[in-house]
Amino acid sequence: MNLRLSTGPHFVSRESTQTLMLDVIIALIPTTAAGIYLFGTKAAWVLAAAVITAVACEYIFQKLAKRPVRVTDLSAVVTGLLVGLNMPAEAPLWLPAIGSAIAILLVKELFGGIGHNFLNPALLARGILLASWPARMSVYFMPVRLLGNTSAIPAGVDAVSSATPLIRPGGYEIYDLLLGNIPGTIGEVCKIAILIGFLYMLFVGTIKWHIPVLFVGTVALITWITGGDVLKAVLSGGLLFGAVFMATDYVTNPMLFTGQVIFAIGCGVIVAVVRMTKAYPEEGVTFAILLMNILTPLIDRMTSRKVYGTVKQHA
Amino acid sequence: MHEKKHSLRGVFVNGILNENPTFRLVLGVCPTLASTTSATNGLGMGLAATFVLLGSNVVISLLRNIIPDKVRIPAFIVVISTFVTIIQMLIQAFVPALYDALGLFIPLIVVNCIILARAEAFAAKYSVLLSAADGLGMGLGFTGALILIGSIREMIGSGTIFGNALFGASFEPMLLVTMAPGGFIVFGLILGIINTVTERVSKRKGAQAS
Amino acid sequence: MKFSFKGGIHPLKEQHEGKMPSREQAIKDFVAEKVLIPMDMHIGAPSEPCVKKGDKVLLGQVIATPVGKFGIPVHASVSGEVTGVVSFQQLGKKPSMCVEITSDGRDEWVELNPLGEVEAAPRERIIQQVKDAGICGLGGACFPTHIKMSPADNQKVDIVILNGAECETFLTADYRLMLEEPEHIVDGLRAIMRAMNVQKGIIAIEDNKKEAIRSMEQAVQGREGIRVVTLKTKYPQGGEKQLIESVTKRQVPSGGLPGDIGVAVFNVGTAAAIADAVIYGKPLVSRITTVTGCVRAPSNLRLRIGTSFQDAIDAAGGFSEEPGKVFAGGSMTGIAIPDTGVSVIKANNGIVVLNQKDAIKKPETSCIRCGRCIDACPIKLSPQRLNVLVDQADLSGAKKHHVMDCIVCGSCSYVCPAKIELCAKFKEAKEKITARRI
Repeated sequence: MNLRLSTGPHFVSRESTQTLMLDVIIALIPTTAAGIYLFGTKAAWVLAAAVITAVACEYIFQKLAKRPVRVTDLSAVVTGLLVGLNMPAEAPLWLPAIGSAIAILLVKELFGGIGHNFLNPALLARGILLASWPARMSVYFMPVRLLGNTSAIPAGVDAVSSATPLIRPGGYEIYDLLLGNIPGTIGEVCKIAILIGFLYMLFVGTIKWHIPVLFVGTVALITWITGGDVLKAVLSGGLLFGAVFMATDYVTNPMLFTGQVIFAIGCGVIVAVVRMTKAYPEEGVTFAILLMNILTPLIDRMTSRKVYGTVKQHA
Repeated sequence: MHEKKHSLRGVFVNGILNENPTFRLVLGVCPTLASTTSATNGLGMGLAATFVLLGSNVVISLLRNIIPDKVRIPAFIVVISTFVTIIQMLIQAFVPALYDALGLFIPLIVVNCIILARAEAFAAKYSVLLSAADGLGMGLGFTGALILIGSIREMIGSGTIFGNALFGASFEPMLLVTMAPGGFIVFGLILGIINTVTERVSKRKGAQAS
Repeated sequence: MKFSFKGGIHPLKEQHEGKMPSREQAIKDFVAEKVLIPMDMHIGAPSEPCVKKGDKVLLGQVIATPVGKFGIPVHASVSGEVTGVVSFQQLGKKPSMCVEITSDGRDEWVELNPLGEVEAAPRERIIQQVKDAGICGLGGACFPTHIKMSPADNQKVDIVILNGAECETFLTADYRLMLEEPEHIVDGLRAIMRAMNVQKGIIAIEDNKKEAIRSMEQAVQGREGIRVVTLKTKYPQGGEKQLIESVTKRQVPSGGLPGDIGVAVFNVGTAAAIADAVIYGKPLVSRITTVTGCVRAPSNLRLRIGTSFQDAIDAAGGFSEEPGKVFAGGSMTGIAIPDTGVSVIKANNGIVVLNQKDAIKKPETSCIRCGRCIDACPIKLSPQRLNVLVDQADLSGAKKHHVMDCIVCGSCSYVCPAKIELCAKFKEAKEKITARRI
């Protein structure tokens, strides 16, 4: 009889990093499907290039650096998907590939691998791509197929770049903003798909409600105070996608509830201010989340809970 | 107390390799990042700094027993700025394109940490010949580093090398690399690679010795 | 109204905390042929054996005398002959001195000195009776009960709580006791209240034991000052600190004791043992242990102290498949045993057998800062931050972040998706901090 000697607990939760990542991937399926339907097979190739490069980079790096190979935890797949969904559909395939490589190699692996990156990998990659190839990244094309019963006009054979809904917010209908019949990156246009993903993740417990809700809520509140169209503001641009899939990344947001509230509100304020002052034609969601990521260690240091036994008793 | 036995050749090579000012001492990073937007700029800045280094090291070494300790820093700065003024006028006269490209960073060579550091750590203590070798070595090490970083940034960020196009017209350069953030990233990556390689080499040498 | 605390988890929720196999099994007595009784079952100095090889002993006879302030006597758990006084490696760090007794099958009691009914028992004598009976906390800690019943002068206890939560997975011993011997438990509580001069007694039971709640409510009918309180089923509701917080809304001060806030907590099994000692004069010679998992007949056995794990497992039908791991206690805080020759001790409330497949642990990966450990911690610590500090060997930093307040419940390790052994790390860190007096 060979009895194993190990420390307790002897039964643990069935959740693992892999199951958490898998739930995120499942939550991204509606957005991915909507993006591919709207933008055509070009979008599928972009996503494939991003995901394959991400996984390959992680595998090769971990092998070369003699670290345990952990591609099966699916975190590279998630990063790749997020990089790809942040691309315009007309991007040449080397663009998402470089984006994925930057996200995995520079932002994640060089800092110590999963759990050690101090910025959201997909988001920093997007930021670097924005600064490096602005012409390629800041053009938005109308989808080639449309969803639902809409009066919008899909892109022609030679897709011409159109104004992002942010630049011409009045020019798009709520219906189109919701379904995705608007110009934008592959993943950010179909808001309904994003919401389905959000509800799924809430249901299975991957994320909690407060970061996306407070983030979007702050933007809505400030828009309302300054007399803008709240619904259109909330449904425009990458706000919903960023709030649901990027701001909720575990590694780069604060640990405690109070910290996360500060984080979400901070993101919302920055986005609202950037949009109001038109400081950047490309909206501020990317940079808002990155800036709050940078502040996260400070927020963590400032927030704490009262440990049991240190609360002042009322005798 | 500081009468270590130094050889001319040892001091010279030291400045290029063991104590390379950019990659080992990590001094003068500000002008490094600013002037490595292209290989040519890097070369120009490097040679200008070398001239100043050489000149200031020699003069400070000549005066090392005369300058009182309490006023040595201001004295060094006066010497250094003299040479910077000379080279600034020379560049302005003979290489105006470089003068325009480097702009403010030429007079800023005065406060380049490398020059003051070498004056303080070496020229103030050693003979003229050794100081000259140190100045030349450090300067060339600096220049080499600038050319390396400048070439990489120019190739990725503009698609050229020393002004000559490398890739075809379809190459879309990575604009970030010629900007400050890109400079930091490239510099950091090169530093990381150099550290890793030197560590592995010294480990192998250590393993062989034992 | 159901009481609860913040934090906590629901381990093995889908499998009803693993309690189904043994839940409906009535308590069965089992007398082993041979017992190996350790001298150091309680917190405090090991007791000194006062018998030698060849001595004939009766059931309940004192075989070891108490040593030091926290000492309690040890009694023979079967009648028969002492076949050895040996050093044996039990589950501690060092081998323990043990007395081996081979049963003569007669189960003859030694002369007993009962105090009689609780109302009649002289107040001052109750605590000595508890000490003489060798009673210590049967819930798992085995703290000498007579010490707990004698709080320091500055501690004014005004509530006694009986812990009927049994929040650990797999364990059903307390549940069956509450179902089958409720009056016994209440008698024990009354004895405690009488001895400590306390007017308020509360029996706290989790709401997944509805029949036990009903049974105890019936038993406390007409008893002044005693009532039954329902708790929300959550782990670690049965932890002393969480129990006190749920029932009284008071928090035990960090580094302090329940007595500091006027509360004393006892396990229901301990209360029943106190009733035995006071009313019948019987010392602690047996306890109820849930033997479950991969055994053919999961049961709640009343085992004699010193019974080997192998005998206990055989009494539960033996292994139903090749065992991969056997642990003493529940799955959250249970201790894995190296072989089945170790003894059942006073605080042993469970023996669980796992097959080869369930015994395998997933490997540790990197922390992804998901925060589940922070949500789970019933002490409101940050296991994530403590993990970083302990990994960096920063023990004074860990102490500053309250690692000494960790109750080592295992909730953080349970929820961690990266399978980091947080609980084990903190246990080790606490031991190091105490040892090095950091």
